[in-house]
Amino acid sequence: MSTYLGGRLVYALFVLWGSLTIVFVAVRVVPGDPAQMMIGASGTRQDVEALRHRLGLDQPVGAQYARYLAGAARLDFGQSLRLEEPAVQAVGERLPATALLAGSAMALAVATGLPLGIAAAIRIRSAVDYLVSVASLLGQSVPNFWLGIMFILVFARWLRWLPSAGIGGMRHLVLPALTLALLLIGVLTRLVRSGLLEVIGEDYVRSAYAKGLSRRAVIARHAVPNVLIPVVTVVGLQLGNLLAGAVIVETVFGWPGAGRLLVDAIGNRDYPVVQVAVLCITAGFILINLLVDVSYAYLDPRIRYR
Amino acid sequence: MAGDTRVRGRPAFGRRRFLGRAALAAGGALLGAARRPVRAAYAAAPAGELRVSLPARIVGLDPMGAQAAEESVRVVSAHIFDTLVVHDPRTRGYRPALAVKWETPDPATWVFTLRPGVRFHDGGALTARDVKASLERMIAQKGPFAPLWAAIDSVDAPADAAVRIKTKTPVGTMLANLSLLSILPAAAMNNAGFFNRPVGSGPFRVASYRPDSELVLDANPGYWGPAPGVKTLRFRDIPEIAARVTALITGEIDLTYGLPPDQLATLRGNKDLHLQTTPSYRYYFIWMNVRRSPFTDKRVRQAMIYALDTQTMLTALLKGIARPMTAPIPSTVFGYAPQRPYGYDPARAKQLLAAAGHPGGFDTSMIWNPGSGPQDQEIAQALFSYWNAVGVRVKDAQAERAQWLDRLLKLDWDLDLQTNIVITGDADFVLRRLYTTQANRMGYANPTVDRALELAAESVDQDKRKVYYGQVCEILWDDAVGIYPFELLETYASRRAVRGFVPTPTFPTFTSVTVGR
Repeated sequence: MSTYLGGRLVYALFVLWGSLTIVFVAVRVVPGDPAQMMIGASGTRQDVEALRHRLGLDQPVGAQYARYLAGAARLDFGQSLRLEEPAVQAVGERLPATALLAGSAMALAVATGLPLGIAAAIRIRSAVDYLVSVASLLGQSVPNFWLGIMFILVFARWLRWLPSAGIGGMRHLVLPALTLALLLIGVLTRLVRSGLLEVIGEDYVRSAYAKGLSRRAVIARHAVPNVLIPVVTVVGLQLGNLLAGAVIVETVFGWPGAGRLLVDAIGNRDYPVVQVAVLCITAGFILINLLVDVSYAYLDPRIRYR
Repeated sequence: MAGDTRVRGRPAFGRRRFLGRAALAAGGALLGAARRPVRAAYAAAPAGELRVSLPARIVGLDPMGAQAAEESVRVVSAHIFDTLVVHDPRTRGYRPALAVKWETPDPATWVFTLRPGVRFHDGGALTARDVKASLERMIAQKGPFAPLWAAIDSVDAPADAAVRIKTKTPVGTMLANLSLLSILPAAAMNNAGFFNRPVGSGPFRVASYRPDSELVLDANPGYWGPAPGVKTLRFRDIPEIAARVTALITGEIDLTYGLPPDQLATLRGNKDLHLQTTPSYRYYFIWMNVRRSPFTDKRVRQAMIYALDTQTMLTALLKGIARPMTAPIPSTVFGYAPQRPYGYDPARAKQLLAAAGHPGGFDTSMIWNPGSGPQDQEIAQALFSYWNAVGVRVKDAQAERAQWLDRLLKLDWDLDLQTNIVITGDADFVLRRLYTTQANRMGYANPTVDRALELAAESVDQDKRKVYYGQVCEILWDDAVGIYPFELLETYASRRAVRGFVPTPTFPTFTSVTVGR
């Protein structure tokens, strides 16, 4: 296992460097200038030039890149151009909120998607099955910004059960997490349902019934564990969608997260913040994928890592 | 209730009575619910707390940095810090604040006498050295307001209560510029992390700040001016309009503004809310690239104005949020001089185009940044159709902000639609920065305008300045340098418990607001 992890670490460092470089270039190739954005439309050309010089943007791109890499090695990722604080601080202040939102959505999705998918699979072609199928299709199709606004109107304005926006206690987390989770619930439900249907048709399930096990024991101990590997894989892959959705949900609900910061930073051409945020997302992806891969060894005793 | 509850042999509050009361309450609730489907589940705001949601988020607490021009930063800075003078939109002049009097011994020297006994939130005394340090930092930060101080020669503090500013050439806008200069404590302002919990001398102190979420200010007990009306002032960041309006309706916030007309219509009928509308310093305009054919010809430019029915656009698209504009700057701004409106005359427009050599019209394009002004999509579409009706076929070249700005500053455009705010309430802020030959923002070059703007900027006689700006307004209007269709109104929506809020054309302040029960 340790050789395996060692290899993955080297691979991770390479991916991080690659994503850093790609974003560094991409964000500078796109038209638009951070100094111009900061000065705005009422400034003069001299003001913009003076600011570019102060921010070090008038140096050749290669020199900027070299300086940035040297800083990155010391874990210094530069100063946010717009917020005038270290980029790492700007992102770091907001990451916990996004992690809370995404984590809650993920947990909610698994806690809802698994049981719903199982319920649909074992009662195939019943009313429950059809309801669950329709609901999961809706969950995957409904745009999340519309859904978020609808939730606010219904639960905050009309029923007055929940707050309309912002971060606070558990009550503030409900609507944003639900909005974000709905897509994933839809995906997971259908995945679990179809995966379980396939597994239920296998010989070993028939043998388990033949052994005299109750239906509950067969499903829980023989069927579901075999569905978990694709479920865990999809959950890991859906992290990207979750982060994309988080940006929208954060804006709709006024959630102070890093997704909103990233989109604003791109719009404002705040290079250091964009770079750090993308680096964090890359690192998150690498970590989640590693956890997913490692979990295979626990879910399926036949898999071993060296 | 403790103790013996028996009264005259029967329990004072026994089961029967409880059930009776419960039945009454349930019946009442049902009746109430049947009458009005919504019951407020939130308690009224506690006395002494005002919760405001600004239309844009608070980007930071540094009044001199890159974000200094953002309205949200200016609003919160006005509550945390003080300035030497404060702009008074009613008189279009300036009131003393930290400076109690000022004089100009010669046109290039200003001497301000500071108010005695002013202390910062950390207890330190505010002296002329803090003013000097603040001005020097403003210039050094090279933020959007630094260019206002280009003519500064030196600033010094000959005494604790005296500040002397010397300029290279006379600066007529000194007071306007000073109204944007927040005074920070010289000793602390360069400390790392100062702007996470900045210290000022203003009516409120920073209690806590969670970026993108909430800024909490509490009243400064040692404030030199009239004490604030509320003990706590919270700025909640709710960017999505539906969520912000909902928060206002449910009572989660007390005041907000920057709402589109359809949301305002919903709120007008709400008995819990109070709407107040004010003219503002913000306006829409369309520039024509004077260096690019066919806009090099004044007749073509004028034709573009005659083709537009601004009155219909106002009633159909901007009801309650704008009014007609009658000069290149809004009527609320110092230096405004009303001009004769062009009017809607498509026949004349076609005539002028024919005279200029375009009888069949021509093709052109308009750049603009969606989301930068209220109803901008609707306005753009209306403009395209009015121009199309006289033969001018305009391509929609909308772009995201960074790209729009890039093309705008490179003069790589034919037409440009945008909004602008005259932040200082003084015509110099817009006219001299955008319409001089040197500024070259739309290719217009007129030495008469340059000279008038220069003289206006250098004159400390406000009446003379008004005359110069009047001349410039007339020239720009007659030369059809741009189209100035609407000046924007701002509507503030607040809960009825909020009292004492007076909206003005400049950014809102809440120091004199009280929140009743």
